[in-house]
Amino acid sequence: MYFKLSLRNVRKSLSDYTLYFLTLTFGVCMFYVFNSLEAQEVMLSISLSMLEIMHTITKLMNGISIFVSLILGFLIIYANNFLIRRRKREFGLYMTLGMSKHNISRILLCETLIIGVLSLAAGLLMGLFLSQGLSVITARLFEIDMSGYRFIFSLQAFWKTILYFGLIFLIAVSAGTLSISRHSLIELINASKHNETPAVKKPAMTLTLFLLSVLCIGIAYAMVLKYGIATFDRKIVIEGILGSIGTFLFFASLSGAMLGLVQKKPSFYYKGLNLFIMRQINSRINTTYLSMSFICLMLFVTIGIFSTGMGMTGVLNRGYSGVIPFDVSLEVPGADDPWALLAQSGVDLQDYADDFHRFHFYRYDLQALTQGTILKEVADLLPEENAQDIVDRLFPQALDVVALSDYNALMQLRDKQPLALGGSEVALMSQFLWVDADFQSIIEEYVGTDGRLSLGGTPYRVQTEILSEGIVNDSDHLMTLIVPDAVIADCTAVTGALCFNCRGNSAAMQDALTVQLDALIGEGRLPFKEGCVTRNMVQAVMGGSKAIIAFFAIYVGIVFLITSAAVLALQQLSEAADNRQRYEILKKIGADDALIHRTLFKQIAIYFLLPLSLACVHALVGLKVANDVVREVGSLNALQNTLATALLILLVYGAYFLATYYGSKQIMLKNGQRHE
Amino acid sequence: MAEILKVSNLEKYYGNKDSLTKALDQVSFSVAEGEFAGIMGSSGSGKTTLLNCISTLDSVTSGSIMIRGQEITGLKSRQLAKFRGSALGFMFQDYNLLDTLTGFENIILPLTIHGIPAAVATAKVEAVADRLEIRDVLAHYPYEMSGGQKQRVAAARAIITDPALILADEPTGALDSKSARRLMESLDRLNRNLGATILMVTHDAFTASYCQRILFIKDGKLFNELIRGEDTRKEFFSKIIDVVTLLGGDAANVL
Repeated sequence: MYFKLSLRNVRKSLSDYTLYFLTLTFGVCMFYVFNSLEAQEVMLSISLSMLEIMHTITKLMNGISIFVSLILGFLIIYANNFLIRRRKREFGLYMTLGMSKHNISRILLCETLIIGVLSLAAGLLMGLFLSQGLSVITARLFEIDMSGYRFIFSLQAFWKTILYFGLIFLIAVSAGTLSISRHSLIELINASKHNETPAVKKPAMTLTLFLLSVLCIGIAYAMVLKYGIATFDRKIVIEGILGSIGTFLFFASLSGAMLGLVQKKPSFYYKGLNLFIMRQINSRINTTYLSMSFICLMLFVTIGIFSTGMGMTGVLNRGYSGVIPFDVSLEVPGADDPWALLAQSGVDLQDYADDFHRFHFYRYDLQALTQGTILKEVADLLPEENAQDIVDRLFPQALDVVALSDYNALMQLRDKQPLALGGSEVALMSQFLWVDADFQSIIEEYVGTDGRLSLGGTPYRVQTEILSEGIVNDSDHLMTLIVPDAVIADCTAVTGALCFNCRGNSAAMQDALTVQLDALIGEGRLPFKEGCVTRNMVQAVMGGSKAIIAFFAIYVGIVFLITSAAVLALQQLSEAADNRQRYEILKKIGADDALIHRTLFKQIAIYFLLPLSLACVHALVGLKVANDVVREVGSLNALQNTLATALLILLVYGAYFLATYYGSKQIMLKNGQRHE
Repeated sequence: MAEILKVSNLEKYYGNKDSLTKALDQVSFSVAEGEFAGIMGSSGSGKTTLLNCISTLDSVTSGSIMIRGQEITGLKSRQLAKFRGSALGFMFQDYNLLDTLTGFENIILPLTIHGIPAAVATAKVEAVADRLEIRDVLAHYPYEMSGGQKQRVAAARAIITDPALILADEPTGALDSKSARRLMESLDRLNRNLGATILMVTHDAFTASYCQRILFIKDGKLFNELIRGEDTRKEFFSKIIDVVTLLGGDAANVL
C-alpha cells in the first residue's frame, strides 16, 4: 500500500518536476559517459604513447567525477529537501490519519528510490548511446582513425554510476527523513500557512552592504587585472575570496538597494505591476541569495571553462604538421652523432627505415646570435602588455643555424621543393608562427621590410619568405637561421640530429623503436633521454591536451550549467503555488490574464537573469586575463569563442527558463481549475 | 434611485447529468444606487456562489446579471478583467492582501494596474486612508497589522477605484467583535457619506444589522427579504434573528 501511495506521489510530482528529473538523468548520463572512457580504447587504433595519455585522461576524469558527483549530490539533496518542504502539509495529513513518522519515512524512501531508479535507468541508457559518440570525438581530437565500430558497454562505469548515485540518494533520504522527524504535527499541518517573514533591513544598511559588495568585487577585478592569473599564489586566493564575498553581499543587498532606488522614482514604481514584481523579488531574494550567489559563481566558472576551453582547442587544432615534419627525429647535444651512439648500443636504424639524414645545429662563433638579434629590430611592435616579459625571457635564447645543404636534404627526404638561397642570403625558419598571430605579424614585418643581418661583418639579406615548417619534431627553438654552407666554417656544432620516416606501418614502427630505446635507456645503455621524438608522441600529447581540455569543458561545464539552471527552475516552480494565491488576488483586483502572464514572465526572467548577468561581468574580466595567459601559448579568437559560449549557454539556460515559465503557468492554471 | 445591480432568473448548476446540484435556482433581485444590501444564509446556501457570479469570478449557467445597465454574463475574459477593475470593489473574509506589499502599496495597486499616474494615485490613497483611519499603518506589511486594520486596508483597496458596487464576502468573518463593530461603522460611513453601494454576504446577524435591506437565501433560492426602514439597528437585529430562526438556522448561526 505504501508503495502504491509512493508511486502515485511520484507520478504526481514528476509532472511538476520534469525538469529536475531530466537534469538528474542527464547528470547520470554524463557521469557514465566520462567514466566509460577506458572501455572505448578498443574502438580506436592508437599507439602506445596515446594509450598512456588516454590512461592519464581516464584518471583525470575519475578525479573530476568525484567532484561532479559532489555537485550533483548537492543538487539532489537540495531538490529533495525542497520537495519535502513543500509537502510538509501532506505529510502532516498522513499523520493525522494515523501514520507514524516511521511509515512516512518509508514512503519517502520509496519515492526517492523510485525517482532514483528511474533517473538512473534513463541516464544509464542515454549514457550508453552517448558514449558511443564520445569515441568519435576522441578519434577526431587525436586525429586518428577508428579501428572499426563496436558497441561498447563499460561494466565498471555502470557499477560506479550506480554506487555513487545510490549513495547520494541514500544521503538525500536520510536528510529528508531527518527534516520530517524534527517537526511536530502542528508545524507540519500549518507549514503552508507559515508566513515567511522577510528580513526587514534598514535601507541605509542595505545600501551600505551593496556598496561594500561593489567595493569587494571592484578590488578583486583590479587585482586580477593587475597581477593576472598566470601564477597560482596567495594573490589568486585573495582575489577568489574577495570576489566570492562580493558576490554574496551583492545578491544579499541587491534587491533591497534596487527597491530603495526605484521607490524614489514613483512614476516607474507605481506603474502597472512594477511594484508587485519588485516586491516579489525582494521578498524572495532575502531567502534565496545564497543559492543565487552559488549559481552565479557556477555560471561564471562555466562561461570561463567553455570559452577558454574552446579557445585552447582552437589553438591546438590549427594543424601541427609543421611541428612534426618526420616520423622520428633524434637529437643529442654537442657534436655527437645519434646514429653512431645508437649503433654502439646495438640499435640498427636500418630496421626501421630506408632513408635518413644526419646533420647538426650550429652556434655562430664570430658574434653572439640570439632570438633578440632578430626581435630587437621590431621591438616596438611587441605586444605592450607582455613586451618586458618577452625581452627578459626570449631575447637571450640562442639562435641556432643550419646549413642550406642539410636543410635541402631534409626537404628532399620529405619530397618537398628545395630552398634556393643566394650567396649573401639567409632564411628564417619558425615552426611556431601558427601559434601566435601577434608573433607572426611581427616576424612578417621583419622579413617584409628588407630585413638585413650582419654575420661577422658581412651583410646578409633575410629572405622574405618565412619557412614555417620545422626540420625536427617538436623543436624548442622559436626561430632557426638557414645559412649558406660557407658560413658553417665559422660555427661550432651544438646539437647532432637525425631524421627519418619509417617504412611500412609507421605507427607500429615508431612504437617498436620507442620500446627498444626505452629498454636501453632503462638499462642505462643509452646516453640520451629525451632526444627521440616520434610523430606518435607529439600527436598523443597534442591530442591529449585537446582531449583533456575538451572533456573537462564538456563534463564540468555542462554539469555546472544544468545544475544551476535546475536549482533556479526548481525554486521558481515550487514557489509557483505560493505565487498562485498572489496572482489570484491580482486577478480579483482587475489585472487581466495577459498582464498576469507578462508579470510572471518578467518575474522569472529577472530571477534567471540576475545570476547570469553578474557571472557574465565576472567572466568578461576573467576572460580578458585568461586571454593574456593563453596568448603566450597561442592567440585566442576571444570574440568568436565568447559568442559560441554565449550561444550554448543561451540555448541550455533559455530552455530551462522557458520550461520554468510554462511550467509555472501550468501550475497556476491547473490549481485555478481545481479551485472552482 | 437608479438601479446599480439587476439580477434576473440567475441559475448556477454544478456537476453533470447524473448528479446535478442547483447552487442557485431562479434568483432575481436588484440593488439601487447608494444602497447597503446584505445577503444572509447558512453555510452551503449558495450565497458565496451568488457573490462569485456577480463579481464575474464564476460563470453562470443561465440568467442575466446587469451592472450599471451592462450585461456582464457574456463578457470576454479581457473585458471581464477591465470591468472588474473599474466597476467592482472586493472585500474578503481573509482580506486577500498581498503579503509582500505594504498597506500603501496594496491600496494603490488597482490604480497602477489601470494606468493612473503616480501623483494622482498617491493623493487618492492618502485621502482614502484618512477616511478609513489607517494612515499610520500604510507603511506596514500585512503581517504587522491587526485583523481589523487589514480589513480596513482591504476596504480602502476596494473603494480606491470609485467602483459602482462594492462586494464584501463575510468581511467580519475573521474579526473579533470590537474590530467587527469598527469595520461595520466604517462601511456604514462610506455608504452614508460617500454614497458607496455595498452588497455584503454574511451569516452573522450583528454584521447584517448594519444593512438597509437583507435578502435571505436558502438552498439556492431567495427565501425572504427584510427592509430596515425607520427601525433602529437593535430592532432590525431582532427581526433578523427571527428570520434566521425561521430559516432553521441553529444557535451557531445567530451569533
